[in-house]
Amino acid sequence: MERVECIVVGGGLAGLSAAYGLAEAGVEVMVLERGDYSGAKNVTGGRLYLKPIRDIYPELWDEAPFERPVARELVTMMAEGAHTTVEIASDRFTAGAPQSYTVLRARLDQWLAEKVMEKGAMVVPNMKVDELLREDGRVIGIRAGEDEIGADVVVVAEGVLRLLSSAAGLATQPKARHHALGYKEVIELPPGVIEDRWHLNPGEGAAQLFMGECTKGMMGGAFLYTNRESISLGIVVGMEDMRRRRDGTESWQLLDEFKELPQIRPLVAGGTVAEYSAHAIPEGGISQVPRLAGDGYLVAGDAAGFCLNALVTVRGMDFAVAAGHLAAEAIKRAKAAGDFSAAGLASYEGSLRSSFVLRDLETARTIPSFMENPRLFTHYPRAVARLLESVYTVDERPQDGLVKKAWKSVRRDFLNVATVKDAWSARRI
Amino acid sequence: MDIVVCVKTNPDLEMVRVKDRVAQTEGVPYKIGDLEKNALEAAVALREAGAAAKVTALCLAEGNRKAAEDIKTALAMGADEAVVVDDPALADPDEAAVAAALAAAVKKIGACDLLLFGEGSSDNYTGQVGARVAELLGLPQIGYARKVEAADGAVRCERSMDDMIETVEAPLPAAVTVVSEINEPRIPGLMQIMKAKSKPLQVWSLADLGLEAPAPVREIVSNLAKEQDRKHIVFEGTAAEQADAFVDALTREGVLGR
Ligand SMILES: Cc1cc2nc3c(=O)[nH]c(=O)nc-3n(C[C@H](O)[C@H](O)[C@H](O)COP(=O)(O)OP(=O)(O)OC[C@H]3O[C@@H](n4cnc5c(N)ncnc54)[C@H](O)[C@@H]3O)c2cc1C
Repeated sequence: MERVECIVVGGGLAGLSAAYGLAEAGVEVMVLERGDYSGAKNVTGGRLYLKPIRDIYPELWDEAPFERPVARELVTMMAEGAHTTVEIASDRFTAGAPQSYTVLRARLDQWLAEKVMEKGAMVVPNMKVDELLREDGRVIGIRAGEDEIGADVVVVAEGVLRLLSSAAGLATQPKARHHALGYKEVIELPPGVIEDRWHLNPGEGAAQLFMGECTKGMMGGAFLYTNRESISLGIVVGMEDMRRRRDGTESWQLLDEFKELPQIRPLVAGGTVAEYSAHAIPEGGISQVPRLAGDGYLVAGDAAGFCLNALVTVRGMDFAVAAGHLAAEAIKRAKAAGDFSAAGLASYEGSLRSSFVLRDLETARTIPSFMENPRLFTHYPRAVARLLESVYTVDERPQDGLVKKAWKSVRRDFLNVATVKDAWSARRI
Repeated sequence: MDIVVCVKTNPDLEMVRVKDRVAQTEGVPYKIGDLEKNALEAAVALREAGAAAKVTALCLAEGNRKAAEDIKTALAMGADEAVVVDDPALADPDEAAVAAALAAAVKKIGACDLLLFGEGSSDNYTGQVGARVAELLGLPQIGYARKVEAADGAVRCERSMDDMIETVEAPLPAAVTVVSEINEPRIPGLMQIMKAKSKPLQVWSLADLGLEAPAPVREIVSNLAKEQDRKHIVFEGTAAEQADAFVDALTREGVLGR
């Protein structure tokens, strides 16, 4: 059997980050990516929180093909026929080194793959790995088509579906209830139009999230990120909620319907759809993280469940880069000790635990079950939109005083047994 | 017998999008052209059948800054060696410059009994390069080959013509341009891809070939298809009435009944 020191399965951000660190240290590494190129099949919403990973491979980020630094954060709460948008702006989002950037994966992943190759790793596109080879419980290599290649260690960075790792018994099969489904379009608009529509300084970007009516009562929301010459517009719904729906709504229709809403239409007007994609998102939180290292293998990125949807911040890409880096560090140590067994690779989990990856996932442990509460996606956004609608309404009837108007809504929508219960269950997130 | 296959890489056409009538190639990865893959496959098949000793893939980078990486696909498909001619002066060459560079490179490679090309490239398909190189090297050329056999110092090809198949023979050395019917190019497996890494690959500049930067002999004014004015005629009425009106309109335009 032909051999290399390390095989990375999956040329997404997790796999490429691992390969970069390994190649830099002179480890012989080969990345196998089933897409036509890295990034070809990868979907993200569109915002990378760079701050947590800026010190990992610091030389990389200055020249990374990011789209726009996010300067404006908008959250839109939608009722039927009414909505409220809140803007959150802070100099600290962009001052000095911006905390987050919008990104397009086709561009970002391809660029990173090039950097990885420059460091001396082999990145093989169009190469689907069919099996993780095991011997006495140890991962000893991979099979792609008819070819079997051995490796001291395999980094499993195959993304959310975990097809290989569950087939090899390294992880349980992913369950619908721990996943969301995302649909996304990249819609081209001229930069000037983008800057006008979202009130942006030239080059700056906006992130807008939508909650409420857009998901028809299902867990989830919609997102909009401005890129340089396009916007990424998408909708995310809980897989289990979608599966249970009996009204004939197909999940792919949700995005079309969202785009047709009168609040959204002017945002996308005149744009050309350049890209359409759909992808699953791990949302099971830390309870769905599989065993992270074993004899001859490590797991990183979405394959390890490193993804966190905290309602208004969605993170997965920064986790993927950080985990890839820590995987590379652990492999370097294992190589120095000549021990690629579970024990030799155990430092991986330890370093993840002391990094933001597992810390933030641990902090957010209760979020997935908290998010199972449908009122989050129906009642509250609607109530906020309705409250402000009533405060801002003037008609021929004698008007209640402002406080009275607001109080009526608050009493009706926010002060009842259900909401008090929700507040109680939210106290730990 | 040694074979040299001229291989062009071009932006992956499936990924090129058109915006405002201009092809957007920024960030689009390159790949080896389709007919060039047929030519490679033909060459490797000849070697596997014992008719050839060595197959060299020769690629002119033409602005593809990753040509030396992309040509490894040819090595994975079975070529024994690869040569890339990469020079800033040849970033966007015309066919004359391409042919001059390829001819010089073939000479520098030395041993070449059979020179294979795709009939035309996947992007521009000018179909000129094979014939031009053959002319510069003083080789007989066979075009539209759908079958290539080599034996006893000669190459025998079936040529795919519109309404017939022509069988012709030329003494070696010779140049042959192939069409897609000739074979089904193999998709290299991982093992082949890995082995390709250690096969010899050289990168030459124009100076290495003893050539000067070419003076362009063609200038592209526009390569856009002419924009069509649509008539915007809507036919109404029953199906039969619409059909009649449609035929009348076509006749008036001179499309029918000439
Ligand atoms: C709609 C949506 C919105 C999101 N929004 C955000 C956001 O705004 N911010 C954020 O940080 N995160 C976001 N995420 C999450 C983020 O995109 C992921 O966490 C991140 O992409 C994970 O990276 P990865 O490298 O682990 O996996 P991936 O990017 O999925 O990469 C896995 C790679 O493995 C390859 N592969 C799989 N199987 C095989 C095989 N058998 N052989 C060879 N190759 C294989 C795939 O082709 C792919 O390239 C979002 C996700 C979605 C779907």
